[in-house]
Amino acid sequence: MNSDSPVVLVVDDEIQIRRFLRAGFELDGFTVEEADNGANAIRKATLSPPDLLIVDLGLPDMDGSEIVQRLRAWSSVPLIVLSVRSNEAEKVRLLELGADDYVVKPFGMAELLARGHAALRRRVTTSTGEPIIKSGRLTIDFGARLVTIDGDRVQLTPKEYRLLQVLAQHTGNVVTHQHLLKEVWGSPHMHDVHYLRIFVRKLRQKIEVDATKPQILLTELGIGYRLAASAPEPAPSEKQIADS
Amino acid sequence: MPDRMKHRGDLHGIAIALLLVAVMTVIMVAVRHYVQPTNRSVIYLIPVIAAAVWWGVLPAIVAALAGIVSAVFFFYPPEYSFKVPAAPQIVNLGLFIVIALVTGRLATAVRAQAEAARKRETEVRELYAFSRRLATAKAASDIFAGIQEHLANLTQRRAVLFEGDAAEPVDVSQRSDQQVPERVWAEVTRYASGEVQSESGSVINDDNGHIWLIRHVAPGTGAFGVIAIDLGHASDAGIDEVRGRVDEVLADAAATLDRLDIARVIDDARMRAETETLREALIGSVSHELRTPLASILGSATVLCNTPTVIGDERLGALAGVIRDEAERLNSDIQNLLDATRITSKSIKPLQQWVEPSDLVNAALERRERRLSGHVVTVDVARDLPLIYVDAVLMEQALVQIIDNAAKYSPPGSVITVTARREGSEVVLAVSDQGAGFTEEERGRLGERFFRGERHLATTPGSGLGLWIANAFVTASGGELEATSGGANQGSIVAIRLPVVREAILQLEGAVDE
Repeated sequence: MNSDSPVVLVVDDEIQIRRFLRAGFELDGFTVEEADNGANAIRKATLSPPDLLIVDLGLPDMDGSEIVQRLRAWSSVPLIVLSVRSNEAEKVRLLELGADDYVVKPFGMAELLARGHAALRRRVTTSTGEPIIKSGRLTIDFGARLVTIDGDRVQLTPKEYRLLQVLAQHTGNVVTHQHLLKEVWGSPHMHDVHYLRIFVRKLRQKIEVDATKPQILLTELGIGYRLAASAPEPAPSEKQIADS
Repeated sequence: MPDRMKHRGDLHGIAIALLLVAVMTVIMVAVRHYVQPTNRSVIYLIPVIAAAVWWGVLPAIVAALAGIVSAVFFFYPPEYSFKVPAAPQIVNLGLFIVIALVTGRLATAVRAQAEAARKRETEVRELYAFSRRLATAKAASDIFAGIQEHLANLTQRRAVLFEGDAAEPVDVSQRSDQQVPERVWAEVTRYASGEVQSESGSVINDDNGHIWLIRHVAPGTGAFGVIAIDLGHASDAGIDEVRGRVDEVLADAAATLDRLDIARVIDDARMRAETETLREALIGSVSHELRTPLASILGSATVLCNTPTVIGDERLGALAGVIRDEAERLNSDIQNLLDATRITSKSIKPLQQWVEPSDLVNAALERRERRLSGHVVTVDVARDLPLIYVDAVLMEQALVQIIDNAAKYSPPGSVITVTARREGSEVVLAVSDQGAGFTEEERGRLGERFFRGERHLATTPGSGLGLWIANAFVTASGGELEATSGGANQGSIVAIRLPVVREAILQLEGAVDE
């Protein structure tokens, strides 16, 4: 494999799952490392830090939230969790602990790749302090505090802008209600989800073609919101080139 | 009734009877000029009959005698004297006595019959309530609770039943919720274990001086367990009497329990509960087990679908697509089974939140994008719908079920319309199709678990869980599921009706005010 290709560490105790993840990621230009339990995963991630981590929550030796916590103690590596539980509270908890996104088993490879790329880009964005974010027809210029749709300026209130900004920092990945509320309204309003609903509706009316069929500001039911990643996905190799 | 009480009742009756006689006399004195002398004594039949009906024979006789004396003294010439001058009056008097005694007797008999009938009616009603309770009992413990209450009613005492049957000896610990004195408890344990051998039961004093009778409900067998009855404070003679009556009542009750085949009912209830638990556990664990390989199959299929070799070969691509689509279908079937077990075990706890109605519609449509690819889908979501307060995930899953149904029972190429609009104080999410629809008879059974229309059994695969799950989810979230159809093959409209909460509007206005 190309030494420039990003490295993904796949952590799952099921060999069949690792097998198709390896195939899927390699097809997409990644170099794949594997670990079959939590202890191995943490050792490997420490010895040679990967660019992306895919962690199954049902590991034999470690609870999913434990592995996320232990990794996040020293590393900001992009991390996607695989969950069989369609339990929203559990997903929110993992995201709050620092997972970048989640995918519910069973899942399609395309979905996982999209999440993975978004998480990788998040790192690129934050490390380079990239001042311009694009999502479909939407462009956000952080330096100029300028939001445009197809080049036309959109007037936003300070809170609307802040909401968009927080989402844009995680473009392509989900951001929980709680995180958004805390960032935009402050901790006392962590549970006032209806604030979000109202502002998202207003925001959609300004940036979407049809606010009832959003293409940019997407809802993750019971979890939070996601700013759509620009399609088509740039291949990771291109990303590497752009980064260097 | 004990004799003492009976005497007191008689005295009470006699006193009132005499008072009535006095009242009648006063009335008769007042109206004497309008009534013929010979008829004046008739009025005294009123106290006689009243006394006979309400207080029995003795007060009736006393009333009759008092009536005669009053009639002779006040109304028979010469008035205000006890002399009875003429033969006609004597005959009159004799007749009065006979009539008074006969009507008194009759009235008493009628009263006794009425009382017996009322008692029988109470007993029958009580027995009816008891058997109805047995019929609806879901578990053996319900039945035992019913027996306990029944026995307590019959004996008119506090009774505590310790469950057990012929096969399983009484488990005293099972009814630890019952407040029974320590000493009684110990005796029940000894009696149940067969340490105390006594057909007629065991009598014991508790610390408060109450006397308890402990015995098998059905003498000679442990069929319905052991019962402890609080006989209260009483002398030895009193206890014997109460015990005699309790024995009688219990013998009756045991016969009734036998007749109702309670032993079998208890067995059945236990068996049903066990089978149900076992089945749910099995479905739950099998579904979980199935999901693990399914994740590998689906994942591998999606990788294959994107492999250059497969993309380049149309036939291979189609095959990989089949694996992917069928794995997805299998997955949603398994999800249905898991949901069904969640519903029956009542472990659905809705997490109500403010939700944008269009988000529900979009999420459900996105999840079923591939399955809907053969249909023409039109979406019409009204602008400015109020936010609704529901469990977003449950609502989306319900909507997915409804969309699945529409796709399954309508021909490819037909139109499926998903709408969200406001109707009065409700937000209505509706899915309409141009498919099989349902008949009036089918409509009535849509809510049944595992119900599938006869017409579709052979042609369309399915489990009959979809709408049942949708209904359970919608109801749990405070909404209503509504299905309408013009009839067979006339298409159908399935709608989720969700209430618009009033406070919502106020609260939201507050939030907008920055």
